[in-house]
Amino acid sequence: MKTFRTIQCLLFLLCIIPSSLYAQQDDVVPVAERRPTARALLFGIGRTRQLDTYLSPMDYTGLQVSFLASSERMTHLLDSRVSFQSSFFGAFTSTDNPANTANYLGGRLDYHAGWHYNYSPLKGLNLKGGALLGADVGFLYNSRNGNNPAQGRFSLDVSLSAGVDYKMQIRRLPLRIAYQADLPMIGMMFSPEFGESYYEISQTGIGHDIICAHPGNAFSVRQLVTLDFCLPRTTLRMGYLCDARQSYARHLKYSDVSHSFMLGFVRHFQFMKRL
Amino acid sequence: MKRVFYIFALLLSLALGACQQSDYTYDDSPQGNLDALWTLIDQRYCFLTYKEEQLGFRWSEIRAKYSSKLHPKMSRTQLFEVLCQMLSELKDGHVNISSSIDLGRNWSWKEDYPENLDTELRQKYLGTGYHIGSGLKYTILPDNVAYVVYESFSDAIGEGNLSDMLNLLSLTNGMILDIRGNGGGALTNVEILSKRFTNEKILVGYTSHKTGTGHDDFSEPRAEYIEPSNSIRWQKPVVLLANRSCYSAANTFVRNMKEMPHVTILGDCTGGGSGLPFSSELPIGWSVRFSASPSFDARMQQIEFGIEPDIPFSLDELLASQGKDSMIEEARRLISEGKLN
Repeated sequence: MKTFRTIQCLLFLLCIIPSSLYAQQDDVVPVAERRPTARALLFGIGRTRQLDTYLSPMDYTGLQVSFLASSERMTHLLDSRVSFQSSFFGAFTSTDNPANTANYLGGRLDYHAGWHYNYSPLKGLNLKGGALLGADVGFLYNSRNGNNPAQGRFSLDVSLSAGVDYKMQIRRLPLRIAYQADLPMIGMMFSPEFGESYYEISQTGIGHDIICAHPGNAFSVRQLVTLDFCLPRTTLRMGYLCDARQSYARHLKYSDVSHSFMLGFVRHFQFMKRL
Repeated sequence: MKRVFYIFALLLSLALGACQQSDYTYDDSPQGNLDALWTLIDQRYCFLTYKEEQLGFRWSEIRAKYSSKLHPKMSRTQLFEVLCQMLSELKDGHVNISSSIDLGRNWSWKEDYPENLDTELRQKYLGTGYHIGSGLKYTILPDNVAYVVYESFSDAIGEGNLSDMLNLLSLTNGMILDIRGNGGGALTNVEILSKRFTNEKILVGYTSHKTGTGHDDFSEPRAEYIEPSNSIRWQKPVVLLANRSCYSAANTFVRNMKEMPHVTILGDCTGGGSGLPFSSELPIGWSVRFSASPSFDARMQQIEFGIEPDIPFSLDELLASQGKDSMIEEARRLISEGKLN
């Protein structure tokens, strides 16, 4: 109930506060010198569906709580058309099998950073495309398995990333709607062999269990749609995150598909000239 | 603008459409659960070819055989019984179905044979003043023979406990290591204990794992060695007492000890259980355990059905009634007479 009231208050604030600070002084100082930076911190809650045939052939479904801390700033590269983005994503999941007799606990940390080339064909519209380098670690623990109680996750990848954002005003309220999709194209990941135990891995090392990852054996994609509402001192951001991490390697299927509602704040910074 | 929208709509549908579904398309019906269990064993059980040869069944025919025992309105208990019967064909102690009803099992590896163990008698030999070091109980018998009992490899063994024990027993003429009734546990404990009985790196066996869903899709066997311990090592004769209840990790320990110098295995064939078990589950929610990775002895021979002793020996019931464990007595005699190397 308290949460609903908070959301109501926030929406009320959005309706009555006109934006006066949005993109001010845009054309006084060049972008390259201002280096505008946006830092966002979002918290999410949603549903997830997990399949890891090393642990169980059944789909587990349940809750995911997550956070996404991201930063994006313009650089001076290519006439200030290139932006640098980094994001740190963490999630904790608790899911149950269809019969509700077993439970998975899972965790994931993911860091990605890279560059986008920005192109603005129309006023307010920005298209961007680029590449991200990333690392992902995680685990999935099954509460009742014996010698295969958990599965570890580790991957490094290079992702293609594309996005679009559009700035507009509705009843003098400045809004920004953005969409970004990241698609890992090539990398490496850890995967045990079909029936290989972690006891055996502990004896032999994981060297032979690091394999090449590409969309053919590890099709994953992360999509984020956000809507920003500009407030006087900060920006409220709400969004939808669809994160699908999948692999099919060594006859083992892994899939973790989550849909989360995200809510948080964005802070905008820029270098100002001293007067 | 429209084009951009279409591109992103395509990406979104691609991502959602490409999501993988569960391996099992079986529903939670009696037939669905039986099919799921049959497929699980067909793809992941590591001894299928070997069991088909040894036990004379065809797994491909098993599904039809047990499907005929199903009917749509059967109770959970009835279904549980049919599924357990199907798994019993494998005669594997590592294969179980675990449910709130019962633990489905086939323990013929020990129940079909004499126990060759009287725990009350064993306790008499230990007396009351015996030492306990982690999971090990030990004492020195009147004829200066060390007697050590290890009841479960699930009981952790500390390196310090082992060193203290071997130090205390170092002046004895030899050791009787009694693992009768030891049903297994952690392989790490097997390694910790085994390495006290060799002075050099020794090949004890091989292990392998499944690399695919085919019955014979296995990795290249990997040699398993025991490295000598850096701490105190036992240099005197050892008689290892084994029986049919020595299973799983205890079976692996007997395999290792068979390769050690100064070790003689006395008693009955072990129970076997050389597959490392994995867990999975059925649509109904019951947990299934099965052997996933086979291990072999140093000559690449199967030890799934047990390891023969160097000296076959049974518990004499008549002597037992007189308060004597004939297997311990025989071991004492062998050590005292110095007939062991």
